[in-house]
Amino acid sequence: MIKEFIQGLSITARHLLPGNSTTVEYPKVKYEPFERFRGLHRLVPDHSGEKCVACYLCATACPAKCITIEADEDENGRKYPTVYQIDLLRCIFCGYCVEACPVEAIEMTGEYELANLNREDFCFTKERLLK
Amino acid sequence: MATKETMTINMGPQHPSTHGVLQLILELDGETVVKATPHIGFLHRGVEKLAENRSYHKALPLTDRLDYLAPMSNNLGYVLAVEKLLGITHEIPQRAKVVRVMMAELTRIKSHLVWLATHALDIGAMTVFIYCFRERELIMDMYEKLSGARMTSNYFRVGGLSEDLPEGFEQDVKNFIDAMPGHLKTYEGLLTGNAIWQKRTQGVGYISAEDAIDIGLTGPALRASGVDWDLRRDNPYTGYEEYDFEVVTRERGDTFDRYTARLDEMRESCKIIQQCLDRLEDGPILADNPGVCLPPKEKVLNSIEGLIHQFKLVTDGFKPEPGEIYQGIEAPKGELGYYMISDGSANPYRMKVRPPSFVNLQALPQMVEGSLLADVIATIGTLDIVLGEIDR
Amino acid sequence: MPEMLSLSNDPILFIAVMLAKILAVFVVLLLIVAYATYAERKIIGHMQTRLGPTMTGPLGLLQPIADGLKLFFKEDIIPAQASKVAFILAPMMILVPAFITVAVVPFGGDVVIGGYTVPLQIADLDVGILFILAMEGLGVYGIVLAGWASNNKYSLLGGIRSAAQVISYELAAGLSIVAVFMLAETLSLRGIVEAQSGSMFNWFVFSQPLAFCVFFITSVAEINRVPFDLPEAETELVSGFCTEYSSMKYALFFMAEYANMVVVAAVISTLFLGGPAGPFPGVINLLLKIFFFMFVLIWMRATFPRVRYDQLMFMGWKVFLPLALLNIVITGAVIVL
Repeated sequence: MIKEFIQGLSITARHLLPGNSTTVEYPKVKYEPFERFRGLHRLVPDHSGEKCVACYLCATACPAKCITIEADEDENGRKYPTVYQIDLLRCIFCGYCVEACPVEAIEMTGEYELANLNREDFCFTKERLLK
Repeated sequence: MATKETMTINMGPQHPSTHGVLQLILELDGETVVKATPHIGFLHRGVEKLAENRSYHKALPLTDRLDYLAPMSNNLGYVLAVEKLLGITHEIPQRAKVVRVMMAELTRIKSHLVWLATHALDIGAMTVFIYCFRERELIMDMYEKLSGARMTSNYFRVGGLSEDLPEGFEQDVKNFIDAMPGHLKTYEGLLTGNAIWQKRTQGVGYISAEDAIDIGLTGPALRASGVDWDLRRDNPYTGYEEYDFEVVTRERGDTFDRYTARLDEMRESCKIIQQCLDRLEDGPILADNPGVCLPPKEKVLNSIEGLIHQFKLVTDGFKPEPGEIYQGIEAPKGELGYYMISDGSANPYRMKVRPPSFVNLQALPQMVEGSLLADVIATIGTLDIVLGEIDR
Repeated sequence: MPEMLSLSNDPILFIAVMLAKILAVFVVLLLIVAYATYAERKIIGHMQTRLGPTMTGPLGLLQPIADGLKLFFKEDIIPAQASKVAFILAPMMILVPAFITVAVVPFGGDVVIGGYTVPLQIADLDVGILFILAMEGLGVYGIVLAGWASNNKYSLLGGIRSAAQVISYELAAGLSIVAVFMLAETLSLRGIVEAQSGSMFNWFVFSQPLAFCVFFITSVAEINRVPFDLPEAETELVSGFCTEYSSMKYALFFMAEYANMVVVAAVISTLFLGGPAGPFPGVINLLLKIFFFMFVLIWMRATFPRVRYDQLMFMGWKVFLPLALLNIVITGAVIVL
């Protein structure tokens, strides 16, 4: 009995030695997510604005129905989204939009600091998503 | 004779050790529990109903959120059920099967680590809690590296996997299972031999083999009562029959036995994962079935057929033949079953989940009545319940 | 040796010295209490591969002050159905005995001030050790009262547990140190320290190892520390007797817990480890011993699970009480022979 108590105490004492800490001091040291991390969405820009062709496939694939798209054609007859909005309060970060996109126009970044003060701030419009 | 008054006490839904939002109405005589009535439903989100309005593909993220401590096991059960419904179980490529087993076993370790952490914390050993979470963090990192999310992995797909293993992933897994036995020794050093731990767990929350079978207990809780039953061996799925592992059983059916059984299960899981690593061969990760699986991204980007295929599948989904199936898997907490009915449309007509925690919770009143208040905490811990899947 | 300073030979100097001593002891005690919370968080943090507080000041050293300020400015809630007077009284009743106990602990040898001998001890009672036991017993009233007055079932259970625990453990604790009195032939703490003077091997821990173990364990039980922290057992009783407390009242409970730790460490050092004896100046020796015991208490908290209520009672009545009695018999026999 005494032996086991001492064994337990020695385990905790061993961890007291320096060099055992696993803490990431978060606001000071930022956690770097892995490459596939599904964070904030990003619309991939290209020379004419955005790669997106407003095909609605992401909105169709979205299980949470958080993507709103309104499409229009520009003077060259190319379809583009006039409105592209993701409601992050509904988004479940499943990655289906990225999987569905046929032109690789949407991707998910490593951005994970998504807190905001107003509900409106969680609506990510095209301009914010293109950044 | 003096009349005996009992005190009714509400344990939960806000209580530090009811593992979420379980509410127990306890009738206490002093500190002895006369009657315990679990009340559930505080975390009900209607997962089963929600699935009826989503295509089979879109219902998959819902399963992540059942037992949130073992998301990949839930994913696995679901995709296996849908594959069975579609009749494509035999088409799953070997690599996908091996990765599925590997991730399911890693998930088992992950789930058991949280069980040990919270169970030990409930009984007062708070250091074990942090040590377990330290190791769990490694699995979480692997999850993130593999699937992109730490908890809601959403990694398996009907027909295979969503993505192949990333660079260096096998080495991570290897390092983890090499280090795990040492970590298990640390936990055991703090708990197994400790007289206080033994006193708190031995003989507590006893359930006999007959009662366990009657109630429908599954998983380690059943096996610790001496019933040798494991779906991985007795009703194999996704290639478990090819692996060499032992089903851990115990005799006494008390909290201590469930504790040692789960620790040994983690060791067995490490063995299975090692076998998975040995079997990993290059190959496709998705079944060659255009009606179910999305085409590879290069095809979508470069060929019109691929593009049409992508549009067709994302928009319409796949439609299994009308019929109904049941698929059970050995999830970390017990038998996780999906009962699916198809009416021939793209959405499931009915998705019934048989969560292990829900059934295991039924044993709680019988296990705690007559014991002390402190034993209730130990018993909730040892049953390893997760309210996410109880309330669904 | 000059005459002992007393109220009769130089009243003004006596009162001045007394106040200085009280102030010094009180301030040191408060500092230890404040930084014991910090040390506990740091030590347990590192044992658990964490860091403990790091953000407030360098190395988080201002954490106790920040905690104090936070608690001070929190809303003070008294539950509507609580028994108000008892609810307010309880935290004081637990803190005051904890602080009073230190009065009889000698923290050094004698010094000469203004031609008089001054003992480094606030009060040298003839029955010092009985006073300590009495005060420790009094502390439990605070807990029971808090548990009852909160009008909360969890608190009530915590209070009842505490009462049962202290009754069973006070007996064993009291009996275990009877052997020490038998050797020292006095109840005054000063006398007990003198009886252990000389070489280190005169310390009673060497002649009374059994009494030392029993007293240490029962003391841990009496101050409700892990593995005997049943009255507040946060995973069972939410927070036990202090569930309903907030703001400064909660802070008083918190301070009392740590003050009790200091007191117990001081008493054990005095009874078994020669009090201020040792290689350094007296006060430092005593402080080192106190810190050592507090470290052990923190270490135990990081390591052990909590015992169950009935097991605790079993140990108190059926293990420690007979052991303490046996120890008295053996000591008596050895003295007589």
